[in-house]
Amino acid sequence: MSASTNNLQAKSPVLHKRGETLIWHFLRNALLCIGIVLIVMPMWLVLINSFKTLEEASQSFFALPRSVNLDNVHELLNGQNYFHHVGNSLLVTVVSMTVVAIFIPMVSYAIARNMRRRYYKFLYTYIMLGLFIPSQIVLLPIVKQMASLNMMNIWGLILLYITFSLTRGVFLFVNYIRVLPIEIEEAAQIDGCTVVQTYFRIVIHLIKPMISTLVIMDALWFWNDFQLPLFLLNRSRDLWTLPLFQYNFKTEYSFDYPMAFTAYLISLLPMLVVYCFCQKYIISGLTAGAVKS
Amino acid sequence: MRKKGFNMDRASFFIITLPALLLYSFFYIYSVILGFYYSMTDWDGLARSFNFIGLDNFKKLLGNKAFFSSVTITFRYALLMVVFTIVLGVLLAVSLNSVKRFKTFFKSVFFFPAMISSVAIALIWDQVFIRALPALGNMFGVENIASPLGNKQTALYAVLFVNMWQSLAMPTVIFIAGLQSIPDELYESALIDGASMFDQFRFVTLPYLVPTITVNAILTLKSGITSFDYAKALTNGGPARSTMLVGIKIYIDAFGETPKFSIANAESVMLFVVIAVLSIVQISISSRSGVNNT
Repeated sequence: MSASTNNLQAKSPVLHKRGETLIWHFLRNALLCIGIVLIVMPMWLVLINSFKTLEEASQSFFALPRSVNLDNVHELLNGQNYFHHVGNSLLVTVVSMTVVAIFIPMVSYAIARNMRRRYYKFLYTYIMLGLFIPSQIVLLPIVKQMASLNMMNIWGLILLYITFSLTRGVFLFVNYIRVLPIEIEEAAQIDGCTVVQTYFRIVIHLIKPMISTLVIMDALWFWNDFQLPLFLLNRSRDLWTLPLFQYNFKTEYSFDYPMAFTAYLISLLPMLVVYCFCQKYIISGLTAGAVKS
Repeated sequence: MRKKGFNMDRASFFIITLPALLLYSFFYIYSVILGFYYSMTDWDGLARSFNFIGLDNFKKLLGNKAFFSSVTITFRYALLMVVFTIVLGVLLAVSLNSVKRFKTFFKSVFFFPAMISSVAIALIWDQVFIRALPALGNMFGVENIASPLGNKQTALYAVLFVNMWQSLAMPTVIFIAGLQSIPDELYESALIDGASMFDQFRFVTLPYLVPTITVNAILTLKSGITSFDYAKALTNGGPARSTMLVGIKIYIDAFGETPKFSIANAESVMLFVVIAVLSIVQISISSRSGVNNT
């Protein structure tokens, strides 16, 4: 509410009572501070303890490491196929994400602008059935299904991600597109644009903020997902994505926890690098959307 | 000529939707139907042949105490998660949206948990509970603080806490997007009418957020009821089955040491019925209020 309130305070003489604002700011800052401590603290502990030996960590869990000791990192990168698992995760995420980001907005556009026709009404309801279906009821039979199709592999996983992302994606996009004014598209069509041209020249620009939301949400899901790879790929070590690597690492290094912390830290690094770009993209995307509407 | 162009458009619309229809039918709906079918067999998941036994699995489950307690635990877990997500998510979104200095920094930090895999988070918190809590206790002179995950009274809430720690970021981002779609003029006129900050929140922000709240509530409820990752990595259902969420129970029944694949399918069918009913109720409630209902 208050981003706009702040704007108001700059341009409007009507202000909230001072006491009210002070209380609100106090509560807000307290909430944000508690949140930040809760979020940063475990990450900080991971960071400092991954540089310690087991002995040092058990003596002083909270203290800074005596030295920046990279032995754990070396051991991890040499001993485990870390880069292989990063490669698997990367392949799954990039391929699934590209298909989803192109495919879902177009499908949703087709549905949103044809809601009066029987087929599209049916298709929307049909895809929305997914909102009512828990993942378990799909996951158990799909394991048997994929096994019989000989697709218990990375490509099978990608196909399932594309399919499973439909419900949420179409739900978000159809509701977003339906409230967009249709007049611009009608004008384009009167000027002779086909549906496909209208989509790529006009609609795609209007739905950009939603596309960035979809890309962020689904890319994170594909990259971090644990359940589907566990069901599909856990049997062959070669196919492990990063989360499976982390999960199985737990059993191998259950006592050497500085080593486990190092594994988590190193597994987080690719995401941290990407995060800088994503964060900018989200914020600019959302602001652009807000300005247009 | 115009008529022909019109048909071209209809054809393109149809072709665009076709792959979605086929994929969704084969890898989603067909699997669900298979799940229903398996739930009415006695298949253990490995044998080459199995028999159709009708509703026997369901009859067995309805009298099964372990299944019933699993369902209760799951509901408590999911409902608490929805409440916390909506309340904290809206509060956090409003707060983050109103911060002037370090806005990007705050947003980056609060969104960070959503970047990490649930497994890593679960295992990190597991270590924090085991190593940091006793050490913290010592600092404040309290002896023998054990990990809440080891206690059957607290384990479920500890798992929920870890789950929330990560899953709050996504709804918050959606709430922020919802907040930014509210026209400034509404706040302006509310202010001129003498509305307090709380009034503005109550009568401008909240009604506009109703569609967003609905989306988030549905997604959260679904993810709470089907929650799997955190309990799997943290407790695997224990101690004393206190975190035996239905998702975990289904996994153990389907692929555990003594596989009961058809029973696991029957459990997911019942989970499906519950989720379907809940979602219908929730959608019909939420669509009655709010400015965007048509």
